[in-house]
Amino acid sequence: MSTLRIWLTQALFIFLITESIGQLVEPCGYIYPEFPVVQRGSNFTAICVLKEKCLQQYYVNASYIVWKTNHVAVPKEQVTVINRTTSSVTFTDMVLQTVQLTCNVLSFGQIEQNVYGTTVLSGFPPDIPTNLSCIVNEGKNMLCHWDPGRETYLETNYTLKSEWPTEKFADCHSKHGTSCMVSFSPIYFVNIEVWVEAENALGKVSSEAINFDPVDKVKHIPPYNLSVSNSEELSSILKLTWNNSGTLRLKSDIQYRTKDASTWIQVPLEDTESPRTSFTVQDLKPFTEYVFRIRTIKEDGKGYWSDWSEEASGITYEDRPSKPPSFWYKINPSHTQESRSARLIWKELPLSEANGKILDYEVILTQWKSFSQNYTVNGTELIVNLTNNHYIASLAARNVVGKSDTAVLTIPSSHFKASHPVVDLKAFPKDNKLRVEWTAPHKPVKKYIIEWCVLSDNSPCVPDWQQEGGSVTQTYLRGSLLESKCYLITVTPVFTSGPGSSESVKAYLKQAAPSRGPTVRTKKVGKNEAVLEWDQLPVDDQNGFIRNYSISYRTSIGNEIVVNVDSSHTEYTLSPLSSDTLYMVRMAAYTDEGGKDGPEFTFTTPKFAQGEIEAIVVPVCLAFLLTTLLGVLFCFNKRDLIKKHIWPNVPDPSKSHIAQWSPHTPPRHNFNSKDQMYSDGNFTDVSVVEIEANNKKPCPDDLKSLDLFKKEKISTEGHSSGIGGSSCMSSSRPSISSNEENESAQNTASTVQYSTVVHSGYRHQVPSVQVFSRSESTQPLLDSEERPEDLQLADNVDSSDEILPRQQYFKQNCSQPEANPDISHFERSNQVSSGSEEDFVRLKQQQVSDHISQPCGSEQQRLFEEGPATGALGAGTDGQVEQFESVGMETAMDEEIPKSYLPQTVRQGGYMPQ
Amino acid sequence: MSQIKNQLAQLNGSANALFISYYTAQGEPFPNNVDKLCGPNMTDFPPFHANGTEKTKLVELYRMVAYLSASLGNVTRDQRTLNPDAVSLHGKLNATIDTMRGLLSNVLCRLCNKYHVGHVDVTYGPDTSSKDVFQKKKLGCQLLGTYKQVISVVAQAF
Repeated sequence: MSTLRIWLTQALFIFLITESIGQLVEPCGYIYPEFPVVQRGSNFTAICVLKEKCLQQYYVNASYIVWKTNHVAVPKEQVTVINRTTSSVTFTDMVLQTVQLTCNVLSFGQIEQNVYGTTVLSGFPPDIPTNLSCIVNEGKNMLCHWDPGRETYLETNYTLKSEWPTEKFADCHSKHGTSCMVSFSPIYFVNIEVWVEAENALGKVSSEAINFDPVDKVKHIPPYNLSVSNSEELSSILKLTWNNSGTLRLKSDIQYRTKDASTWIQVPLEDTESPRTSFTVQDLKPFTEYVFRIRTIKEDGKGYWSDWSEEASGITYEDRPSKPPSFWYKINPSHTQESRSARLIWKELPLSEANGKILDYEVILTQWKSFSQNYTVNGTELIVNLTNNHYIASLAARNVVGKSDTAVLTIPSSHFKASHPVVDLKAFPKDNKLRVEWTAPHKPVKKYIIEWCVLSDNSPCVPDWQQEGGSVTQTYLRGSLLESKCYLITVTPVFTSGPGSSESVKAYLKQAAPSRGPTVRTKKVGKNEAVLEWDQLPVDDQNGFIRNYSISYRTSIGNEIVVNVDSSHTEYTLSPLSSDTLYMVRMAAYTDEGGKDGPEFTFTTPKFAQGEIEAIVVPVCLAFLLTTLLGVLFCFNKRDLIKKHIWPNVPDPSKSHIAQWSPHTPPRHNFNSKDQMYSDGNFTDVSVVEIEANNKKPCPDDLKSLDLFKKEKISTEGHSSGIGGSSCMSSSRPSISSNEENESAQNTASTVQYSTVVHSGYRHQVPSVQVFSRSESTQPLLDSEERPEDLQLADNVDSSDEILPRQQYFKQNCSQPEANPDISHFERSNQVSSGSEEDFVRLKQQQVSDHISQPCGSEQQRLFEEGPATGALGAGTDGQVEQFESVGMETAMDEEIPKSYLPQTVRQGGYMPQ
Repeated sequence: MSQIKNQLAQLNGSANALFISYYTAQGEPFPNNVDKLCGPNMTDFPPFHANGTEKTKLVELYRMVAYLSASLGNVTRDQRTLNPDAVSLHGKLNATIDTMRGLLSNVLCRLCNKYHVGHVDVTYGPDTSSKDVFQKKKLGCQLLGTYKQVISVVAQAF
């Protein structure tokens, strides 16, 4: 190591010099000490001495020296210029393990050149080795261990020295610093002195010497050829034999265990302290496999125990079963009245009680005061048919050596009533097993039968069972139990007279959180509350006793509210809730080990409570109906007033004063002005002319004046027509309509105004006078009106076939003309007018009167539309007569009511506005 | 002293095995002529008087063991040459020699510490290096035969 350090230092030096000067030269100085090793924490001083020739060559002296450690300049405070060629540097409290120290010089006052370098090592001197001990592994050389103490950080040599009083042995140099194996064979019965020397650059120390006889430090080779043999005479012993190594007297240590056990049983050392190579182990169980191991040490106990030998096993010989099997029975529930089926069951004896291989079981069934039946069974159950009487069953297990004691079981008669159950039955987990405790009944108990099974909704309860003695009141369930399973545990005391009543309890070996949470749903949702309901979790999902439920509900923006509910409940009412709000509900079930949330459920509370809408709507409807009823009643009571304003009575022309209708009476309106007024051919208003009724009979003067009026009108206006006429003329006619404005209007807008004289009164009112009304229609005027030349053709057609349909139509659809008392008058007038010189005028009026029949319905409308064609072919004589008579009235009326009229429908007994 | 007794017992316990191993390893005629070839008839073997004092016995023991140790050293050297494959024999010879080294150390210390005897004159057997093979084997066999016989006496004397 030191050689390597020197080489590295020199290489560094050469490298630095070569770099700085460019050629191999002798160093300009040296550092002393050249290979320093410093104890940590101590001070260290190094000096650098420059050569004289370098001082002159590079114009430097000691004051130009720059010290560096690990390429970092040393502060000037640590540097001292001793003389012209020597500079020193002092370090206090050296802590670094390795420091590269270089001496540099500023040549020519500027260029830094490395002069010399060295490595400063720091560490500690070796501690005195302690705890020196040696062991002699038989067949090998002696090995010694020691504790070297603290780390030295330096190269330290450890040497194990040994000697007799009469000679020394070769040193043992340690490679690891903590142990060393000597190179010579151990020689027993001669004391040897051993010590350790430790040495490094900072010092050399020796441990205390130990003096011992190597034979007292021997660790022997383990015994070998260990064998185990049994004895047919004694089923409780096994004999061991083995071999020891060497010639020394050794004592042994023997351990054994059953094959399945994990702990070893120690044979007392007092029994094996004398040197031996065989031993017989006693008090073993019959027919049980045992495993043995052995180790040795020098007889006086000095030295080390050898390693354990290889294990050897042996089986003790068989013995008769030490106990009878556990014995129980089950009665088939579907038995008849005369017999019953019993299933006798028993448990296989554990190996510790069977004491050998069980060959078969012997069952003896004895009926009360009757003969016995023997059964030999290889299995562990026997199904027998029994009567309803009392039975006694006994069971014994048999192996190659002998037979066990018998287990006796009383099977009571079918009428036996069980009683005396155990009380205070409890079951709880303990030590990773299920512990069952109970209080014995007051009656002496022969034994207890404990049965258990897993409760599940998916699989039936398949019970397992075990038997306990009559004095036992607590036990652990034997068998492989599962965690998170609900066990139904039943304890049945068995008395001499038979089994007692059973008591059951549920228990979990280890509870866990439920597999899933309950699924909650709403049973009823109100405006401010909701009734939640859920089903109990299936027992397979409970994984423990459900202690409580927690219901968490919240709105989409509100905080979550959690309520705890007892596990016995299956519904809960959430209140108060906000109306018309979406709620999210989650429910969790908790066992002792935790809880599990169920799926989230949402519901929305209604905006109105149940019946709230009805409470609002029904009164409103009732109020509306009441208001409507009151309105109807009001209208009914005030019908006259309403009628007066809305539906006034049409004046009865018969009650008008004839004087006002006289043609001599100056017209209120000028015809010229009327033409001007209706120049556009449209009537936009209706005026009702009330005429004072006059019961006077029409007089011939009136007729004359009417005729004169007509003549005058014909002569002046040609085709003009209108409403009017004297009551004398219209009293015996059902209806006559005319419109003098039609003529002028048709020439412009093809609008025809109609006027109807209602013979009967309005709504069963018997009119005392005829009523005149005026209607408006778009029916074009008859061609005869527009083309007077056609009238000639019509005159020539006497009693033509074209007329008949019109008459029939009027008879069928127009208010039963036959029933009308005026019909005779109508016909009479027709006859009177036949062949008169006014036929020409009447023919034109006939064409107008065809339009009067319009209100008779749609059929009439159709026919009415066909009217012009019919008229074109020629009007009947009846129609001519009819029109003739109405022309006079219209002419008279036209003078009195020049404005406009509502079109009206002619109906017997009244008229309707259109 | 117990160590000396144990060492003598150890030597006594292994002497017969060493003797058998030796003549067996030499091959015929030794195994079938042990009495003739390996009889304890060495003339220069140091005497031992079992009825002497402890000091006398220790001194005689020291001389005898020194003689045996040196002679067994020669035998071991010859056997490495004559029977290099007799590893078991070599091991037994070495173990016996090592035990004798220890015995000598113990006896010397005992004499020194208790009887203040710092030096004991010893004698050694003839050098067998110049002898032929059979003689070497025969002398070795005679030595071991004598050793087996004497060591039992000595072991009982202490």
